[in-house]
Amino acid sequence: MEIGLIALGAAIAALTGFGAALGMSRATSTAVESIARQPEASGKISSSLMFGLIMMETTAIYGLFVSILLIFVLPGYIK
Amino acid sequence: MLPLTSLLLDAAQNTASKLPEINIMPEHIDMGGGFQIGVSVFVGWGVTLLLLIVLLLLYKRTKSFTERPKGLQRYMELIVGGIYNWSRSKVGEQADRVAPVVLTLMSYVAAATLIEMFGFPPATDDLSCTLALGLSTFVLVNVTALRTLGLKQRLKRMSSPNAIVFPIKLLTDCVAPFSMALRLFANVLVGGIVMKLVYAVVPVVLPAILSAYFNIIEAAIQTFVFGLLSLNYINEAIE
Repeated sequence: MEIGLIALGAAIAALTGFGAALGMSRATSTAVESIARQPEASGKISSSLMFGLIMMETTAIYGLFVSILLIFVLPGYIK
Repeated sequence: MLPLTSLLLDAAQNTASKLPEINIMPEHIDMGGGFQIGVSVFVGWGVTLLLLIVLLLLYKRTKSFTERPKGLQRYMELIVGGIYNWSRSKVGEQADRVAPVVLTLMSYVAAATLIEMFGFPPATDDLSCTLALGLSTFVLVNVTALRTLGLKQRLKRMSSPNAIVFPIKLLTDCVAPFSMALRLFANVLVGGIVMKLVYAVVPVVLPAILSAYFNIIEAAIQTFVFGLLSLNYINEAIE
């Protein structure tokens, strides 16, 4: 019973991927558009895009980390 | 039920019973008397020694460097010059002070992660190691900012446009090292878990292909990210 609840919690925690994916797709599409409009600014655009992508990826990684903690660490404390 | 489906189900049930033990807590070595030292500490010392030896050998070679680079000198100038140019484009005048520290941090991250290729547990698989790296970056950011701006000017910039944002900016600065530490730790940890699961399900061929991504490219990306983030935080602090 508790295993099922833990799995459910881990699955919900991994849903942070939704937000990260939406943010990354928006940022990338806008960056590609602006590079197409202004090819000479591509260096600056891609470096700031990289920074933004890393920041967005962090949220997804936190979600993944929480779900890993739930799966591997929590069962040890329940017994 | 289709024969293929039942075959797949059988395979899944067989592998499910022999899934590997995954332990995400750092392992410790007993030193006697209740005194424990983490495995990652030993690996970290090993990596430091290795880097020291390699760098001393490289330093000896720099004595014979000529005006026209060739061979080894080309690659060394590519790396060192590349980092200097990169930090110059990010932090401007402070680049000469910042670039050596950033390159040191990056080479430690790369070596401590890539040591996995030689069968050691990676040192960055332990939160305490990555947290130490994150705190070093925190010190680097604040020392550079205080050196360039001075305490008064720094506090003034942190409370602009008005004093309400000061606590928020303070919190952002203080969270940064933990964020960097967790990012690096989680990436390395997840790569290890995925590789263990793949080994359990398909022990041949596939791990070799995936390992190229999860061990080598992942380490390179994380090294790059670590350098980029350090430079960006410094840039934010001093601009």
